[in-house]
Amino acid sequence: MDPLTIGILAAVLVIFLLATGMPVAFGLGLTSVIFLVLFEGIDSLSIIADTFFAGIGEFSLVSIPMFIVMGAAVASSPAGKDLFEALERWLTRVPGGLIISNIGACSVFAALSGSSPATCAAIGKMGIPEMQKRGYPDSLATGSIAAGGTLGILIPPSVTMIVYGISTETSIGRLFLAGVFPGLLLTTLFMVWAIFYAWRRGYDFRSAVGAYSWRQKFEILPRVLPFLAIIIGILFVLYGGVATPSEAAGVGALFCLILVAAIYKIVQPRKIWEILSSSTRESVMILMIIGSSALFAYTLSSLFVTQSVAEYIAGLDVNRWVLMFMINIFLLVAGFFLPPVAVIVMTAPILLPIITAVGFDPYWFAVILTINMEIGLITPPVGLNLYVINGIAPEISLPTILKGALPFMICMVVGILILCVFPEIATWLPNEVMGR
Amino acid sequence: MTKFVSFINVLSRIFGVFSAALVASAILVVCQMVVMRYVLNASTVWQTEYVTYAIVAATFMGSPYVLLVKGHVNVDLLPHYLGGGARKALAIFASLLALAFCSVIAWQSYEFFYEAYDGGWETDSVWALPLWIPYLPMVLGLSLLCVQYVAEILSTAFDLAPQTEGSTISDGGRD
Repeated sequence: MDPLTIGILAAVLVIFLLATGMPVAFGLGLTSVIFLVLFEGIDSLSIIADTFFAGIGEFSLVSIPMFIVMGAAVASSPAGKDLFEALERWLTRVPGGLIISNIGACSVFAALSGSSPATCAAIGKMGIPEMQKRGYPDSLATGSIAAGGTLGILIPPSVTMIVYGISTETSIGRLFLAGVFPGLLLTTLFMVWAIFYAWRRGYDFRSAVGAYSWRQKFEILPRVLPFLAIIIGILFVLYGGVATPSEAAGVGALFCLILVAAIYKIVQPRKIWEILSSSTRESVMILMIIGSSALFAYTLSSLFVTQSVAEYIAGLDVNRWVLMFMINIFLLVAGFFLPPVAVIVMTAPILLPIITAVGFDPYWFAVILTINMEIGLITPPVGLNLYVINGIAPEISLPTILKGALPFMICMVVGILILCVFPEIATWLPNEVMGR
Repeated sequence: MTKFVSFINVLSRIFGVFSAALVASAILVVCQMVVMRYVLNASTVWQTEYVTYAIVAATFMGSPYVLLVKGHVNVDLLPHYLGGGARKALAIFASLLALAFCSVIAWQSYEFFYEAYDGGWETDSVWALPLWIPYLPMVLGLSLLCVQYVAEILSTAFDLAPQTEGSTISDGGRD
């Protein structure tokens, strides 16, 4: 059978299996097993254990559980509340200061925790009631938190970027750097929209000013700055070849555990166990998907599907921006139904050869892909962040939350467009720091 | 049958605790390695391999526990729109499909493990770790995963409530 037809059949089978509600990891694995047996015979199964094992058994993947532990440690503490408080105390006199505090706290916390739902919960619990109290519309309060929470998969250190780096064999250090300015760009777009919306609705910013003494402004800093130092420290040691991502992540995880113990007295065995068990669950889930996607990628490539699809698309000779547009639509739809990690491991090995063949930068593409995944996090039906917010602010209806999130989705699309016009926003920093 | 299901659930939880302990040990070893390398400028022998295999072992051994606490991510759109009976039937069907894959890979992992053991395979580092050691958790974890799936199917089919009896042990978590 022609490899392209095999590819289409494989895609149909994956969609069918995943629609039954079976776990993504086992759906990908079953598809691989079926196609190997059908096209290469039963003996070809002898490689599956080795391929699965090798897919997980890589030192760079060690960074995933480490970053997750780091995030879980931070998320288990009231660090999110303090982060929000600190920004609010310092920015209260700036018009729209509360909005800036909310989204800013989201972006910092999201970077630390790397988890969108954890960010929404941690910042939202404080931020949403505070915004309501000062008369901001409900939809704006929830929308800005939902959108702010998604930034964690773009701003380094990001587990999503690590997964992209592993599945496309690109440098994780470069990917982290590529995410920095686009992350700031989206943060700014979110803030600008939120302030503009509040202003247009006739919101009186002066009514939102709280009074804080200098003492209050400074006393909160020792609880917040160490966490910022960890992010900066991790980025710092990653460059210049000081340490590998796994080493940086391991040390970051230990530091965060020590910090939450020192600052927030989180030392009870029960709490520590909760941090460890929730991180273990999350990393087992991600690594099982990575293992089975290694098997899936092996299957597609041994049946020449990957190569044929890339050749076929290159042969179509469409304009590369039309191609990019179609890829974006495809990713967006995939992101509506699947979590970011699953979309990346399934599509990146197939998409990357196409992307580079038509002359796009793989690091720039990682950013575009990630923003598409962020949109998926705040759109139904999966839209994890929307449900988290519904959980912490049950008095606000889901349609209101959704309506509030919509403009922020548009901000992300605008962000993608800006990055298409100025790809340097993503590529300049990695090229500058690590050379071309 | 309830006894069988609760026994398997307890076993999966024990595997889960072991898996979390492996993750914790990996963090400590990474930090020890960083100190050795960058502070003491000493060379490290076994750390990189230990950490890599500890995470692999944690993944396979933790997998049945993650299944028990419904942590393996899936697309629950269709089940969401189905009514009671149809949803139950679909859940059993999906679990059978997953069990099919898990059995194949559990069986293959045993073959792979046996080959490594029989052939005396070692890692090609200075440490020269016998490879059957990191392969063993794969066999154990995937085998228990299959049995856990059987338990899941039984408890869905006969409406046993496996979550209530073991829930004194905290699941922690973000859900």
